[in-house]
Amino acid sequence: MQNNIDSSLYPTTNGVGDFVRSMLSAQSAELVNNVLAIIAILMVVALSPVVLIWLERKVAAHFQARLGPMRVGWHGMLQPMADGIKLIFKEVLKPEGADSFIFFLAPILPATASFLVLTVIPFDHHLQVTDLPAGVLYVIAVSGLGVMGVLLAGWSSNNKYSLLGAMRSGAQMISYEISLAFLMLLIVLLSGTASLREIVFSQQGTVMDWWIFKFPVFGFIAFVLFLISSTAELNRGPFDIAEAESELTGGFSTEYSGISFAMFFLAEFVNMFVAAALTTTFFLGGFLSPQFGIAPLDQVLNMVPGFIWFFLKSYVVIFIFMWFRWTFPRPRVDQLMDLEWKILLPLNLLIMITGGIFVGMGWV
Amino acid sequence: MDLQPVIAPPGFRTGGDTSTSTEEYFLNMGPQHPSTHGVLRLVLKLDGESIIEVVPHLGYIHRGLEKVAENQTYVQNIHLSDRVDYLSSHIYNMAYCLTVENALGIGVPERAEYIRVIVCELQRIQSHLLWWGVMGMDLGAITCFLYGFKEREIITDIFEELCGARLTMNYFRPGGSFADVPDSFIPQVKSLIEKMKVALDEYNTLLTGNIIFQKRTKGVGVLTAEDAIQYGCSGPVLRGSGVSYDVRKDDTYSIYDQFDFDVPLGTKGDCFDRYVIRMEEMAQSLKILEQAVAKFPTGPYRSKTSASIKLQPGTYYSQVETGRGLLGIYIVSKGGTKPYRIKYRSPSMSNLHALNHMAQGHKIADLIPIVATMDIVIPDIDR
Amino acid sequence: MGITGLATRTIPKYLDPLPGGTQLVDSIEFVVGWARANSLWPLVYGTACCAMEMMSAGSSRHDWARFGVEVARATPRQADLIVLAGTIVEKMGSRLVTLYEQMPGSKYVIAMGSCAISGGPFYYDSYSVIKGGDRLIPVDVYIPGCPPRPEALLQGIMELQKKIRTEGRRNPWVIGGVNENPSIDIFSTAKKNWAEAGQKQFVADDEKYILPSRTKPSRKAVDDRPEVTAREKKLSGMSAGEIDKVVAAEFRGIKNVSREEPGQGRTIDYRVSSRNYIHFITFLKNHSELRLDYLLQIMAIDHGDRFEVSVQLMSSSLGHRVFVQCDLEHANPQIETISSIFLGAEWHEREIFDLFGITFLNHPDMRRFFLEDDFPGHPMRKDFSDPTRVIPRPY
Repeated sequence: MQNNIDSSLYPTTNGVGDFVRSMLSAQSAELVNNVLAIIAILMVVALSPVVLIWLERKVAAHFQARLGPMRVGWHGMLQPMADGIKLIFKEVLKPEGADSFIFFLAPILPATASFLVLTVIPFDHHLQVTDLPAGVLYVIAVSGLGVMGVLLAGWSSNNKYSLLGAMRSGAQMISYEISLAFLMLLIVLLSGTASLREIVFSQQGTVMDWWIFKFPVFGFIAFVLFLISSTAELNRGPFDIAEAESELTGGFSTEYSGISFAMFFLAEFVNMFVAAALTTTFFLGGFLSPQFGIAPLDQVLNMVPGFIWFFLKSYVVIFIFMWFRWTFPRPRVDQLMDLEWKILLPLNLLIMITGGIFVGMGWV
Repeated sequence: MDLQPVIAPPGFRTGGDTSTSTEEYFLNMGPQHPSTHGVLRLVLKLDGESIIEVVPHLGYIHRGLEKVAENQTYVQNIHLSDRVDYLSSHIYNMAYCLTVENALGIGVPERAEYIRVIVCELQRIQSHLLWWGVMGMDLGAITCFLYGFKEREIITDIFEELCGARLTMNYFRPGGSFADVPDSFIPQVKSLIEKMKVALDEYNTLLTGNIIFQKRTKGVGVLTAEDAIQYGCSGPVLRGSGVSYDVRKDDTYSIYDQFDFDVPLGTKGDCFDRYVIRMEEMAQSLKILEQAVAKFPTGPYRSKTSASIKLQPGTYYSQVETGRGLLGIYIVSKGGTKPYRIKYRSPSMSNLHALNHMAQGHKIADLIPIVATMDIVIPDIDR
Repeated sequence: MGITGLATRTIPKYLDPLPGGTQLVDSIEFVVGWARANSLWPLVYGTACCAMEMMSAGSSRHDWARFGVEVARATPRQADLIVLAGTIVEKMGSRLVTLYEQMPGSKYVIAMGSCAISGGPFYYDSYSVIKGGDRLIPVDVYIPGCPPRPEALLQGIMELQKKIRTEGRRNPWVIGGVNENPSIDIFSTAKKNWAEAGQKQFVADDEKYILPSRTKPSRKAVDDRPEVTAREKKLSGMSAGEIDKVVAAEFRGIKNVSREEPGQGRTIDYRVSSRNYIHFITFLKNHSELRLDYLLQIMAIDHGDRFEVSVQLMSSSLGHRVFVQCDLEHANPQIETISSIFLGAEWHEREIFDLFGITFLNHPDMRRFFLEDDFPGHPMRKDFSDPTRVIPRPY
């Protein structure tokens, strides 16, 4: 098994890779290959918010018995483009008394953090910028950067609403990061590796070998906890207490306009995609096609490329995120903290211990 | 750096900062704020996220309606009463017409009484539907807003067919209403009753049973019965605190004494009680509608009144129950076709007065359900 | 200058001489105009009735999200559009201007409803309503109605979109002008016309005013309306006679000024002197039989030569009502507060102080309630006149 994985690691063996290698020396070929992978991921990053914004508005609209954007493009497909262009051409205002440098730095940070996380996510057998041996640690470390942007934005805006929103968001994201880290470490414990690629390969086999099912009952609980923690980490409804439109008007982004606001908007959706991608990688077998142990069906499913499976699974998770948002009311800030520290964290520890026992006894 | 001492905005009663570990600050909410239901302005004194004191500032939609009314005839004033509380415009029309009828000493035919009861109960449901939707939206469940409006539009359609207006109705007149109901009125109301019964279950599934919602509202904004009476609260705010006073029952007007309905009461006086009472009131209104539709009589829809209405000198008062509480209309006449003074005793103003009492010690986020369950309409306060 | 200036001036300066440069700039303009038109994020702003119809426009049936107007922003920094839904009063006016200034360009304004266009039903006689939003901020589209239907708002949005699409460097987006606050003279013509109309008799032989015979007045004949007597009201609580007995036992000089005979109605009016005022109210509240624990309201009436303060009490458990009237002199009206007896009285008294100028002694918070602190005079007094604010009704 181990050898099998090694042989499929970089440098890639796809058509483009072969062509590049035949033209260049091994080292520069790898460089070019990585640049191509980065470009591919940038494309994903640039396109996914566009798709997601449209999807969010349509999903919300249909949940709410209406149509949503209809006038630009087929069923409003171009709506995110219109929003984006409009925001780019809109005046950028800086409130009096705001700290200029931090005020304009802050919107860049959350998006950057999520871009960085994308580098280690395996989209397909060969579609990954780099596979770090300690990929999980990297993800935990880098995603923590996102909260910096929110905190700085709230602090530098010179607005009480922003500050309140930022403080709420800081408390919330730091708390839920613990939960998320524990759940990621659980998967590391179960699969015995911290490389995201190998975590995916540890779920090879049928659907029942995905960590959501392979680790009986607790795997599913862990999956649900991961979804809840991710939603909180994303600052998305119902846990959008940092933005809390009805309480704090716009929370940390109250004073942002034009392109600065667009960056926050973009980061929100890239973040959502990242969270969904991580959920897929950790619990839903990543790019592996679902296998049901029925030979003819499995062969058909195997013919579909891995990245399609990856995106399908991610979008299912994204749909669940949207479902959350458009159904539940928002908890209060102290209730949210209660949920994390009094319910989720003890539950996580319990699952960790159970996971340790399972691994120790060789049951998984 | 020199820190300027914070000068407290006017209106605060609580003393200055005594502890050294925390610093109090002031936060301005409104007049343009998504959860203040219009142009209410609240100035909060906060310690972290905890509210120490709330001072509402009013008058951002004070239109001088009572002054304008003094120069209009009694019939012209009906259309101004629409615009006091636009969510209960039929009920305001009715209260106004009741006062004038009371002054003239005339009554209305039976069919007109039934029309009034049906229309007012429809209006109550409509008003509560909007409240339910907006309350959900304020708490972050935006879908509630759309669901509430879905059924609200059906009632709006009925009103539109009835009198041509969707919001500011101007339908009732002293002695009845300006036109008879269309033939489609009763079938439409019947079908609405069926739809609403399903919809109410749906609302309870979507919001009432939700654990986050219950956590947000239970034990929040408690108002005891004594305080509610002291502040002059009325409607669901008063009944949520366990005081049974519903003008429809305790000071019956029109033909409400001929219908069988209950007045839901709360026990704790918190936001959840007020919420449940409003939900139950919708069910009770449906009950009234069912009875009224079943024995809807034929006959004239308006009694005879003189062409120009002149009131004898004196003072006239009558009160009704709107979706928000007790509405009293007080007319001072010195003879002639125009009132000398009209005063609307609006329920929202007294209800809002209890806000500071209810919100003290809670978090900023708790202010939202407290304001939402009061269901205030700002023009009703400011007039 | 910013990005707008870059697009409208700098880039065309270098691009226009090049072959195809004009077309390039035009196409950029087209895209920007298209984007702005299709992504109008409204500010959450609404003051009165029209706001309800605006909410209806956002609801499932009308759904303004179809036009890209979905993302209602609570903060003006991210909004493109203010829909002036509802009456704008003086106190809100300065806030509205601030909101508009807080919005980044390009920004648009729709005046929805007659109040936002001209003051609507509050044009005459009102001392606080601003007669049209365009006296404060530039308005792009006017939607008449009181309130306009949601469909009308949607049409207004589509008209605005049409306007935005034509924007470009030949017709760049600018902050438009604001209507000058017209003096009353503008309305003198209207006044004259009204006066003329009042004198002119609309007689049938005046050819100009003869109606075509087929358009008969549609008002129904009044003959079929029956005369109906008032319904007998079921009464609860103490009757006026009983209340009178209780009160007379304690207070000798209190005058019962009820319109109805004692024992008929449930409402009973008393007139007290300001000396007895506090004692009488305290007595009514604390009396174990009357149980008048609920304050309906306190209101004032300006009788020209005197003020009358009316305290309206009700028993929340029994249901009877007692109204207490107290006359005050017109020159320097003041009276003791009852906010220590009824907490709810505080705001009612502030309202009276604001609108009538009656001072309540020992009141904990005697500030203006509805109007700005620098508002001259007390508008609900009968002798109030302020030609800069009030346009008197000409008929």
